[in-house]
Amino acid sequence: MRQGAVLKMSLRKIRIGLALMVVMPLAPTLARAQSADQKIQQLEQKVDELDQRVKVAERKKELDDADAAAKAQNAASVTADTGGFNIKSNDGNFLLKIGADLQVDNRAYLGDGAANGSDSILLRRVRPTFSGTVYKYVDYFFRPDFGQGATVIYDAYLELKYEPAAKVRVGKFKPPVGLERLQSDDDTSFVERGMPTLLVPSRDIGYQISGDLIPKRVNYSAGVFNGVADNGLSDAAVSGHRDYAARLFLTPFNGTSVKALRGLGFGSGISGGGVDGEPLPAYKTVGQATFFTFASGVTEAGHRTRLTPQGYYYVGPFGLLTEYTLTEEGLKKGLMQRDIAFRAWQVAGTYILTGEAKGFTSPTPKKPFDPRNNGWGAVELAVRVGDFSAEKGIYNYGFASAATTPRHAHEWVGGVNWYLNRLVRISVDYGNTNFGGGAAAGNRLPERVLLTRFQINFI
Amino acid sequence: MKLTALLLAAAVCYAAGPVKLLNVSYDPTRELYQNINAAFAKQWKAKTGADVVVNQSHGGSGSQARSVIDGLQADVVTLALAYDIDAIAEKTGLLPKNWQSRFPDNSSPYTSTIVFLVRKGNPKRIKDWNDLVRPGISIITPNPKTSGGARWNYLAAWGYALRQNNNDESKAKDFVARLYKNVPVLDSGARGATTTFVQRGIGDVLLAWENEAFLAVNELGKDKLELVVPSISILAEPPVAVVDNVAARHGTATVAKAYLDFIYSPEGQEIAAKNYYRPRSKEVAAKYDKQFPHLTLFTVDEVFGGWQKAQKKHFDEGGTFDQIYQPGR
Repeated sequence: MRQGAVLKMSLRKIRIGLALMVVMPLAPTLARAQSADQKIQQLEQKVDELDQRVKVAERKKELDDADAAAKAQNAASVTADTGGFNIKSNDGNFLLKIGADLQVDNRAYLGDGAANGSDSILLRRVRPTFSGTVYKYVDYFFRPDFGQGATVIYDAYLELKYEPAAKVRVGKFKPPVGLERLQSDDDTSFVERGMPTLLVPSRDIGYQISGDLIPKRVNYSAGVFNGVADNGLSDAAVSGHRDYAARLFLTPFNGTSVKALRGLGFGSGISGGGVDGEPLPAYKTVGQATFFTFASGVTEAGHRTRLTPQGYYYVGPFGLLTEYTLTEEGLKKGLMQRDIAFRAWQVAGTYILTGEAKGFTSPTPKKPFDPRNNGWGAVELAVRVGDFSAEKGIYNYGFASAATTPRHAHEWVGGVNWYLNRLVRISVDYGNTNFGGGAAAGNRLPERVLLTRFQINFI
Repeated sequence: MKLTALLLAAAVCYAAGPVKLLNVSYDPTRELYQNINAAFAKQWKAKTGADVVVNQSHGGSGSQARSVIDGLQADVVTLALAYDIDAIAEKTGLLPKNWQSRFPDNSSPYTSTIVFLVRKGNPKRIKDWNDLVRPGISIITPNPKTSGGARWNYLAAWGYALRQNNNDESKAKDFVARLYKNVPVLDSGARGATTTFVQRGIGDVLLAWENEAFLAVNELGKDKLELVVPSISILAEPPVAVVDNVAARHGTATVAKAYLDFIYSPEGQEIAAKNYYRPRSKEVAAKYDKQFPHLTLFTVDEVFGGWQKAQKKHFDEGGTFDQIYQPGR
């Protein structure tokens, strides 16, 4: 039994020994094969990991690009060009325009009447402008003036334009009366405005509704205002009276096939209201010398009405603007109270020698100033005749002194405008004004003035 | 009264051509609303004689809500979660704050839940939420800041972690932080995340709307993807609402309400179920019972106290999501 067990043990050892003898030489080969499989597996795993990393990186880039594109689509745009400096939301509903109006003038008074004014170089207008839109339908406009050593808010208003035929404007702005007054100062054809503009308000505070009854052909405006003196502006009402103003202007051939009449426009402004103690105006010549002042102790009282038939005609390089203003002022001095009529008219013609089309706004030169590239801008000739008169009663009732204040002035102005480009202009005007009355004996000496202006305006 | 309104609507429609509605919806509802819109147009035509065209806009639910707040003229919104419509109501006043009470079931005509989509054979052996936080697992889920589905994903994980840890908030936060550590990229919407996972082949598991997961499996083939149902998930209740002021301005208030009512109708519920949204109608739900997996579902109200609280705590600026997820990490 024991021998059997020993034999079994011996045989088992022999089998193991033989097995080892067979396997031992193969062991390195098997181990190498197993190791290679593992390495392949590891490499596959690493390739998978790297593949995932590359795909994730690519996807992240795609998402970042899409995000950047979406942000760019919604981003506000900033532009700086002939239209000024603008910041605009992507949908156009929000806009800020930063503009400026700078005018540097030289006034030289000539001849016997030189004592009427002082020669000077001055900053006529220094007006930064902030305007634009909020929430698509509300425009705003703010323009102070720092010219001539004073700070004055000229325009400050907002306008709801939800319905183009009934835009509502609130704030301080030009009442809808005079044609030339409604023309922007950088668009006028002369350094200084004409005589009818002396008799209409400059800026007033109030409410206005305006729009096109027939698009681009029939325009209306109507509003209620504090009421200001002729050519005046104010930030507050002096009395409880209000001025009511309205204007209807037609451009019946605008946009039609009748080319010769497309630039024809005509209409009338009107205003009226009570006055009681408002400041009295002082009227100035083209040289900005005061030629008409009321006598001391005179105040506004009663009513003031203005009527201003007006029109223009533009065809090709030719332009014509004409306007008549009749103002009746209620005046009072002591117990004397009367309505006095003031009248003024002008006819102004212009012609652009370089062929650009003339319009109510400044021309855009075909070739902006750039001599190296044969660009010289646009050159325009301008002539204006104008007249101002107050009715004779102004002396009879003691509202003005015949010895110091002419009740009649007649002017003619000739000028040249050089538009270097759409924003920059140089103007030279020669103005001659003759007076009726206003001197101890006879007439006040005529004013002869040479005006030059360097102007940049963008808005 | 209703008849008069319908007649009036029909008359207006007849006079002015087809009525146009804009439905601003979230990312994965494209197919659902294509079907709903066609069926509703047919029904509306039969009922009133008028044509109606429903235009669709899709994107991350949060982004879509932002677009409406910024002026997108939606007649109706059908978003991923109530908070996004609350935001529209609060920030614009275009619809009343009680908008959710104006349609049945809190204005949520269908529900869904969050499940997992994995590669065929489930090579990473992902069975439940706790598998997602294992090292080496790559999870695809969209950005909760822009996607409603992503917020449901996040809250589902948080709810699971709370249950596993006896409502221990810090442990839940740690769990979700570990989960997001495994997220390599955040898409802006659920459909984008599906594209990332299915078409780009990125990640081991997609946290997906149930309907989106079914759609992906059916479209790409059962030989490539598998749907994994976790032990517990969240009951997602996407709401709908008429944007009153816009619809009034467009003259579409009547048709807009009819459109949303239609989703609750038997036909609308059937369409929802066919698109793998869980219908509210008991009859339709019973009919499609076998289609939807059975699992324990918790609601936002139960676990988080409602969307307002959940949003403020987790997704607002500086909330827990901002604390646990750092982009580009």
